[in-house]
Amino acid sequence: MGDLSQRFCTIAGKEILVDNEGFLWHVEDWTEEIADALALECGIERLTDAQWAVIRFLRNYFSYYGRAPMNRDLKAGLGISLLNLEALFPGGIRHGARRIAGLPNPKSCT
Amino acid sequence: MNKVKLKINGVWHQFIVEPGRVLLDLLREDLRLTGTKQSCDRKGQCGACTVIVNGKAVRSCLQKVSRLDGAEVITVEGLGTPDNPHLIQEAYVLAGAIQCGFCTPGMIMATKALLDRNPDPDDREIKKALEHNLCRCTGYIKIIDAVKLSARFLRGETTPDAIRPDPNGPKIGVSHPRPSAMIKACGLAEFAADIKLQNALEVAVTRSTEHHARLLSLDTSEAEKMPGVVGVMTAKDIKGSNRIKILVADQPILAEEKVYCLGDAIAIVAARTKEEALAASAAVKIVYDPLPVLKTPGEALVTGAIQLHADWPNLCYRQPQIKGDAKKALAESAAVVEADFSTQINHQAPLEPEATVAYMEGEGEDAQLVVVGRGINIHQYLANLQEALGYENIRYEEAFSGGNFGQKLAMTSEAISGAAALHFRRPVRYIPSLAESMIMTSKRHTFTMKVRLACGADGKLAAFTIDFIIDNGAYHIIGTTIIKRVLWMLSGSYNIPNVDALARLVYTNNPAGGAARGAGPPQITFALESAMDMLAEKIGMDPLEFRRTNSLLPGQSVSTGMVYDQWPFPELCDAIRPTYERAKREAAALKDGPVKRGVGLGTHAFGIGGPADVGRVAVELDPDNGLTIFAAVADPGEGNDSMLTQIASHLTGIPMEKIRLVTRDTDRTAGMGPAAASRMTYMAGGSLVLAIEQLKQAMKEAGVDTYEGLKNVGKPVHYLGSKIAEGKEAILDPETGQGPSFESRVHAIQMAEVEVNTETGEVHVVRVTTAVDPGTVINPQNLEGQLHGGMDQGVGFALREEYIHGETKDWFTFKFPTTKTAFDMDVIIRQTPRTKGPLGATGVGEMTMVCTAPAVINAIYDACGVRIYDLPATPDKIKAALATQEKPLT
Repeated sequence: MGDLSQRFCTIAGKEILVDNEGFLWHVEDWTEEIADALALECGIERLTDAQWAVIRFLRNYFSYYGRAPMNRDLKAGLGISLLNLEALFPGGIRHGARRIAGLPNPKSCT
Repeated sequence: MNKVKLKINGVWHQFIVEPGRVLLDLLREDLRLTGTKQSCDRKGQCGACTVIVNGKAVRSCLQKVSRLDGAEVITVEGLGTPDNPHLIQEAYVLAGAIQCGFCTPGMIMATKALLDRNPDPDDREIKKALEHNLCRCTGYIKIIDAVKLSARFLRGETTPDAIRPDPNGPKIGVSHPRPSAMIKACGLAEFAADIKLQNALEVAVTRSTEHHARLLSLDTSEAEKMPGVVGVMTAKDIKGSNRIKILVADQPILAEEKVYCLGDAIAIVAARTKEEALAASAAVKIVYDPLPVLKTPGEALVTGAIQLHADWPNLCYRQPQIKGDAKKALAESAAVVEADFSTQINHQAPLEPEATVAYMEGEGEDAQLVVVGRGINIHQYLANLQEALGYENIRYEEAFSGGNFGQKLAMTSEAISGAAALHFRRPVRYIPSLAESMIMTSKRHTFTMKVRLACGADGKLAAFTIDFIIDNGAYHIIGTTIIKRVLWMLSGSYNIPNVDALARLVYTNNPAGGAARGAGPPQITFALESAMDMLAEKIGMDPLEFRRTNSLLPGQSVSTGMVYDQWPFPELCDAIRPTYERAKREAAALKDGPVKRGVGLGTHAFGIGGPADVGRVAVELDPDNGLTIFAAVADPGEGNDSMLTQIASHLTGIPMEKIRLVTRDTDRTAGMGPAAASRMTYMAGGSLVLAIEQLKQAMKEAGVDTYEGLKNVGKPVHYLGSKIAEGKEAILDPETGQGPSFESRVHAIQMAEVEVNTETGEVHVVRVTTAVDPGTVINPQNLEGQLHGGMDQGVGFALREEYIHGETKDWFTFKFPTTKTAFDMDVIIRQTPRTKGPLGATGVGEMTMVCTAPAVINAIYDACGVRIYDLPATPDKIKAALATQEKPLT
């Protein structure tokens, strides 16, 4: 059944290490091209400005605090309701937006 | 009912109590004096509840209040406060006797009672006085030191000020008191069961009485009508995935169609009182359809065996490791040894039960579910709770934690309390018994191992083959990770050019294996290090010389193929040699009678900084020019608070009292991964160094050194450091097991001196010595404390401890170490700074027990000529082996 915690994927022409749920292992590997590619995988043909705003918020928050924001932080930071936030991405914020933004899954034991 | 007057901590109180009410519950529940702890289900086994009644140390769980009228009671709260501590509390802090702190109040009270009647006790008297007080962290060494230091303080021979390290002096390599030690000594550190939660419901869980069965029906109607019951919930009431998951989503919080293991949770009852909840949980009616029970991996691997989980085969993971040509090397070797080894299921045995509380904070859409427990990977817990409960707005908080040893890598009781608080929208307390705590937690995996080890005529290792099967138990937890860790470290301290290994992980209906101090290497090292002694004997080499001869050298590769440029193992062999030769001489003189002494060695090179591991720590300069560290660095007793504080103060020059730690709360911390895998000093310390370097760079660029200065030039005062361990990835080649390994290693040799009574089979451990090179030592006392506790756990693993699911229910049946089993310990430290470690440091939390068991087993062989291949080496096994007086296997 293969390795359960990591695998390599080719995303936007780059070999990228991801975890078993397809989250980037290294947040530093992320580029806007990778976001476009991951979005396409989720069925988003072209990321909208509203979606980019969420992605940038996620990345800025993570690079400052070292953790992903809660939805209430997104709501406060972007002025978007929780319902609208969740609807912005297939898979919602946690499985959709966070993955596209290149944020890691919370880690288990390595 | 009985009317009783008690003078408690100098104040008279009157109580009207039922005849069965015990003093422990009165203190904790009626007076909220929660410094007095409860571990052993009120059986008088642990001593965590020790208080002084009429001048004598008593276990308060055994004292009926109705019989104490007029008594004078002193609890830990009656001794001192952090601002005005008792000299005994000062001594415990300064001696480094406090790790998790759960046993500490009881220990301190037993110490006071002893010293009140005997101001100058010797070791034997101290051990006798503390024989009812259990500690899992310290091996009792520093506790005995603390009693002696207390006595010196009380006799006026010295003072705390005279021995306290200068807080303004050097920060690295100095045993500054742990920041958290004094509140633990004063009984003020809140463990989960101590949390004061208004109007909380008490929760009880109905658990499976079957090992493997379909659930045909589940009837909660009678339970719901029971007195005090607020509600009963089952799997259908959980809105999320209902899964506890680290790697594989195979463990339901509440059983759905099947139970996979004795004790699986099936229903949650919430009631006004714990007694009412327990009564109702017993009234839940379940009809089972029993299924075949897979008791061993062998049964699970038989063709036609029932498949435990629909989505995963019983053989759920396999990974070979092949380096060189072991088959050819074996054929050409001068000497080969071959043997089968096995290890037991073991319990990590933290003293604190699986207590947790949960509540909703706020109202409506913004209500946040707050779950408090003993988790050591709080952001992973948060993510797991979000997914499992189908609720996003959650905060996880780590309470003070009464030991851990890897056990709480996987969530247990928190899923229950969280689900209940969310469902009932009421605060809940889930304070399970010790017996229930044992049944719900993951355990150390059993290994069965077939080993061949070969060397040339020159004594150089030529080949190592090992075929090993790991019993995963009913749930995966981190089974795959265990295999990877074993293979990353398979060749131990040595250069073994040819390796052929096969690892298999198998589901059974046994309790789930999980993280347990060392997590894989202790089991494998038992086999390898036993085989090393067998091979040394076969070729007539001294065991220490044989190990030194086979040390890996810088530039050589371990079994994964990774090359190391630092490997200070031969120097450790030289460092322990005088002690080893002394021990061998002493043992040689004690071979004639029925009690025979022997000396045994075990070594390891434990991995630190897993491939591609990532840490994150944020720092912020405060307006008063103090520094706050924000990182989820759980500290269930290791001393991570010391590590962060001393590194930060050393690097910034900010006084230690102005270094502030925010480490316990998912809303305020950077995700740091688990406080497991010996990774906190290396990964969190490493990330802290990187964060502080950014802060100092900003100050340098601005030409300022204050908060105000940075603010005035518009520079940030908040920086995030992220240490990323070397290794592009953590993946081993699926066919060869070649690939990365750990960025660094901590090297150790342990030597056991034991006496075997050949008439009874009993083993007395005289002394264990650890020679270790951990790189730079940040806090020597904390380092020694880890080594002592690990040696004690390693001896328990070797000789006594075994967890039998459904039978091991308390500390007696577990054979918990006591002052009676305590033994002398010595530590030899070499410090080779590691080029990639924070300030040159590594980590020692696990290394310390990895090679203890083989050292003990090799010493038993040296003493009496019998070798034990399956742990634990109980007197019965040794007697049986002596009866046949087997020859060494070849």
